[in-house]
Amino acid sequence: MLSVPLLDLQRKHGGNPGEFAGWITSMDYGNPIDEHVKTRTEVTVFDVSHMGRYIIRGGRAFDFLQKVVSKNLSKVRKFFMSGPVLLLTEEGGIRDDVMLYYVDDETWFAVVNAPNVKKDLEWLNMWRERLGFQDVEIEDVTLNSVLIAVQGPKAPEVMEGLGFSDAKDLKILQFVHKPEILGKTAVLVSRSGWTGEEVRSHGFEIWTDIEHGREIFEKAIELGSRPAGLIARDSLRLEMGYLLTGVDMNEGINPVEARYWLALSLDKKECVGCDKVREIYEKGVSKVRIGLRLKKGLRVIPRHGCRIKAFNEVVGEVTSGAYSPILKRPIAMGYVRTSHMYLGSKLVVEIRGREYEAKIVDFPFI
Amino acid sequence: MGQDIKVKTKIGEYLVKAGLLYTETDEWLKVEGNVITLGITDYAQKKLRYVVNVELSEPGTEVRSGESIAVLESVKTIADVYSPVDGKLIEVNEDLRDNPDLINKDPYGEGWIAKIETTSPLPEDKLLSPEAYAEHIRSKEE
Repeated sequence: MLSVPLLDLQRKHGGNPGEFAGWITSMDYGNPIDEHVKTRTEVTVFDVSHMGRYIIRGGRAFDFLQKVVSKNLSKVRKFFMSGPVLLLTEEGGIRDDVMLYYVDDETWFAVVNAPNVKKDLEWLNMWRERLGFQDVEIEDVTLNSVLIAVQGPKAPEVMEGLGFSDAKDLKILQFVHKPEILGKTAVLVSRSGWTGEEVRSHGFEIWTDIEHGREIFEKAIELGSRPAGLIARDSLRLEMGYLLTGVDMNEGINPVEARYWLALSLDKKECVGCDKVREIYEKGVSKVRIGLRLKKGLRVIPRHGCRIKAFNEVVGEVTSGAYSPILKRPIAMGYVRTSHMYLGSKLVVEIRGREYEAKIVDFPFI
Repeated sequence: MGQDIKVKTKIGEYLVKAGLLYTETDEWLKVEGNVITLGITDYAQKKLRYVVNVELSEPGTEVRSGESIAVLESVKTIADVYSPVDGKLIEVNEDLRDNPDLINKDPYGEGWIAKIETTSPLPEDKLLSPEAYAEHIRSKEE
């Protein structure tokens, strides 16, 4: 078990540590609901250094990546992120969703989910060999860097306070390579964050070295950001309908069932799993991912594995749920038989033996 | 009476109050004659995380040792609170219905859960002293 490098700082600011994907990091800072609301209304700072970070180098880095991810990367512009792209199994199942950064013609960065840092690296290295891309190098830099996310409508002010002058001009998924922050050079600053604020208002992520990260985390709080933990991050991503790896998707689920269109280029021919996904798409699937909204004011939370029913018949299962402080009601996502995926219709969610009415809604929830 | 214990592990820091008895399922008990006040420990609330809902049994309910008397629902999970004794529930903390997070804010005080009038002797062999409970936490986290 590893502690994130900034754990002592997190604790100093009220962080309650817990375990996630082999890391000890703060789950909350006393009140995850308030942390959620502050992210939507003001500004928060998250230490997301548990996420995996790779650097992919070589003249054929683009060609290699193009062969191993689900989305056509030729449309990604320089100094932009790819948006989520999938690493697929050869059968078309979802191994992970990762974010790629086009730095220059010989360099791409990648951010992968914490539970998959080793697994993804092994997978990529295996394909590097198999596809003859030995000249492309992949370096895991997770342990000697940090990732700090500043999220919320007031994030640009905090970024300016940190000395980052391009905050308001940065487009969604655009990044600045080697920007000056607090008088030092960071690896990059991007407009992103996975809370949805990068789209709704503003959210930034700063990738830098550990010592620099300490200064940035402290200063961001001094400038008015409320520190926020992984529980708030989870309810924020759920409100946006973003999938969590290993929870809402896994190798046994394909992107058509998951309706992960954002991460797919269906016409892409040559990549691991792409042919299979196109075949699945043509045939159709028997279950699909849906959003569920429970009644306002209810305080129960649908959990992973809760059954979804149409009257007495089980037609699906919840994969994740949370209380949405913005909608003031429980929300969930899960999979149901395709025949029951009718937006606006009502199903029943069974939580601890009790039944609750739930309405099928589209993503995002807010 | 001994001193409060601060249990520090690699993962967190947990307060174990002096003058209380503890269970292996992370409840604390304050014994006053044949009435016990019951709550969950600081360790339990930190593991449970932010509590959003508390379901309480009705006062007057007869309870048996090992039976659930309350259900705590947090942002992360659900947990039962068990009675360590046979007896009758004489009072529940009604404030928790509107402010379930009192359990997080003050687990040994305003976040108390229920008062039980015991009808059988305390199961001394199953209850832990503060020192023994502190050790119990350490053994779980190491």
